[in-house]
Amino acid sequence: MRIEIDLEKTLGAFTLKAAFSGDTAIIALFGRSGCGKSSILNLVAGLLRPQRGRIVIGERVLFDSASGIDVPAEKRRIGYVFQDGLLLPHLSVRQNLLYGRFFTPPAERWADVDRIVELLDLAPLLERRPHRLSGGEKQRVAIGRALLASPRLLLMDEPLASLDASRRGEILFYVERLRDEVGVPILYVSHEIGEVVRLAGHLVLLSDGAVAASGPVHELMSRIELRHLIGRYEGGAVIEAKVVAQDLGNGLARLAFSGGELLVPDVDALIGETLRVRVRARDVSIALSEPRDVSLLNCFRCRISEIGAEPGASVDVRVDIAGTPLLARITRHSAERLHLAPGKEVWAMVKAVSLDRHSVGYS
Amino acid sequence: MRSVLFAFLPALLALFAPCSHAQLVFAAASLKNALDGVAALSPARPTISYGASSALARQIENGAPALVFISADLDWMDYLERRKLIREGTRRELLGNKLVLIAPAGSKVKTDIGPGFPLAKLLGGGRLATADPNSVPAGKYTRAALEKFGVWDSVAGKLAPTENVRAALLLVARGEAPLGTVYTTDAAVEPKVRIVAVFPDGAHPAIVYPAALTASAPASGPAADFLAFIASPAARRVFEKYGFTPLH
Amino acid sequence: MFDSLSPAEIEALRLSLKVAAISVLASLPLGFGLAWLLARFEFPGKALLDALIHLPLVLPPVVIGYFLLVLFGRRGPIGAWLEETFGLVFAFRWTGAALACALMGLPLMVRAIRQSLESIDRRLESAAATLGAGRWAMLASITIPLCLPGILTGMLLSFARSLGEFGATITFVSNIPGETQTLPLAIYTFTQVPGGDTQAMRLCILSVILSLAALVLSEALVRRANRRIVGDAH
Repeated sequence: MRIEIDLEKTLGAFTLKAAFSGDTAIIALFGRSGCGKSSILNLVAGLLRPQRGRIVIGERVLFDSASGIDVPAEKRRIGYVFQDGLLLPHLSVRQNLLYGRFFTPPAERWADVDRIVELLDLAPLLERRPHRLSGGEKQRVAIGRALLASPRLLLMDEPLASLDASRRGEILFYVERLRDEVGVPILYVSHEIGEVVRLAGHLVLLSDGAVAASGPVHELMSRIELRHLIGRYEGGAVIEAKVVAQDLGNGLARLAFSGGELLVPDVDALIGETLRVRVRARDVSIALSEPRDVSLLNCFRCRISEIGAEPGASVDVRVDIAGTPLLARITRHSAERLHLAPGKEVWAMVKAVSLDRHSVGYS
Repeated sequence: MRSVLFAFLPALLALFAPCSHAQLVFAAASLKNALDGVAALSPARPTISYGASSALARQIENGAPALVFISADLDWMDYLERRKLIREGTRRELLGNKLVLIAPAGSKVKTDIGPGFPLAKLLGGGRLATADPNSVPAGKYTRAALEKFGVWDSVAGKLAPTENVRAALLLVARGEAPLGTVYTTDAAVEPKVRIVAVFPDGAHPAIVYPAALTASAPASGPAADFLAFIASPAARRVFEKYGFTPLH
Repeated sequence: MFDSLSPAEIEALRLSLKVAAISVLASLPLGFGLAWLLARFEFPGKALLDALIHLPLVLPPVVIGYFLLVLFGRRGPIGAWLEETFGLVFAFRWTGAALACALMGLPLMVRAIRQSLESIDRRLESAAATLGAGRWAMLASITIPLCLPGILTGMLLSFARSLGEFGATITFVSNIPGETQTLPLAIYTFTQVPGGDTQAMRLCILSVILSLAALVLSEALVRRANRRIVGDAH
């Protein structure tokens, strides 16, 4: 389902002016704190009114300042999972879950209660009160509640932010399940690029209230000029690869992509499944000749397509491995020493151990 | 902020200054206008607190610092005298009054007051405004008179008993009650009521306003002076003007 | 002292409970509405409205009684219209006593409910909106349940104030046994009659017991309501 967003809103000293569209299962809104991502969700949900704009979900026009359309929030059929759950404290979990369902016309209730409860493992929690739930449990109930209102679109506002590290993986797993099994489009806000890469098909990069870039995840991730928005530490290309072999003896899996094979340790996937692997630029090295007698398992012959122009000690190098882009971050000094230039043939190397579980997700 | 405090300081201090109530006088509510007029002429500036004689007597009994008490009937003065709350020898009968039946100024109702007079019928669906017949003098006089004329039982359930006689006057003046009983002196000061009839003498115990010093008042001093003043010819003239009957 | 109450005393007790209960229930919609207005909106004259609502707290009750007489008496502009349109009469009737109590208790009720409303997390209402709740559904399923402790407190305070209401009542509807002679008026009447001290004392003790009972009951109710909302943290 296609989603078209075009919003303009002034909030105090901050002006938001964002326009983007996409039709993948999850569209991620990514940016630093304060860039306006949560405001966009509130505007889409109808909790805030834009000064000017247009919101179209599928064929439904929810807001159009030009023609005066403004569907009130309670009629938009947009589910919203808030950062801190916002479960209704005076109701039980079961009552919370069924709250939105009560207001949904029976003909439009596609969400099946038993299925959602099972999907999110909510059965043991049903008779509890929200104050007796852990952070992770609250988020699962919040997701379930939003889904059971049979929404046409699901908004998720940094749902993992208020959870500790161990819980995050758990909820991430459920969101992936959502994406793959329920079929509701999701607009997902986050400031963690790892989550975004794992979950989203389409990425919208925000900066200071405006859209800096919008497009498929793996494409944006491999663009050098966007690296500063994504983050020095976490940025890197995203490779979609299919599991072709599992070497259970030494714990390595072989993932095939257009440029060859990636060897990744401790991958808990079945043969045939397609995974997304984020290769952090800082974990990629460049050599002029094929490395020998080194511990590196992943070495690829490639061609330099672009070298970044920012000042400083480090520089980004984009290489092309038979059609798959990869980003490498090395010192400028080394780049000069090796006389790296666009068009040159080099070897790119990735340590297998740097492809940890935070880097690998299901596509 | 400080200048505000300094401005208010004298006022605050004045509040705590020993009160020079030369006299605190308790007087029946029906005396309000007349006694104010008399007090304006007196050399001392008394502080006068008006209320139902019943309420005032009970307050004196419970230690209210009144120095002079003027009641609207003898019963309440006797009450205090029995409890030794009145200075011996200072009691005197000050004024007389008449009880009247009143109606709102625009009302056309007519009747005489005599045995079996049609009070219940005249009230219709409304109520007779009168001071509480159990305790307030004006109410007690009313009850005595209505009982004497055999009319009490027919109207006992149609009363609007008020806290004092002036409150009954208010109800009739506002037209909320079609009829009421007050003193003729009360009717005189309220243009919004008219007197329908006067209760004949003998219908009730004579209306006598006794005055006396309370036991806590000094035998001579401003309080005693005021007590003497309200019996003086100048004071009597004022009382007469308002419709009271000065007694000897 | 405590052999059975006389009919007059029982009448006063019954009347007090009836008047207090009706005054609280009848003023609840208005009290909630005013609290809602003050808690949720900004508008010109808001400070004035707030001050007006608090007048019964600071003015002498007799003054309030006088205003009621002027406005709601049979000849008063509002009273006459009400009698003509609905047949509703306040003068010299227990309804007038209830009106006096309702007015005196209103500021207490509005304050308590407003405080409670202001402490509700507004984002919960946003969440409910996204789940499809319209304005009235939200009021019934979110707002009122969450401010229930405030509503109960407001009702209790108004009830207790009504049990003790004297000045406005006696000025507006006078002291009619069986019709407007509530407990405070009955106690007052007994104190004015020589020898009525015993009965006055009995009724005083009865008043204290009633007020204590109301206090204890509402404390229990408020605690239960809080537990439902926040959990057993208390």
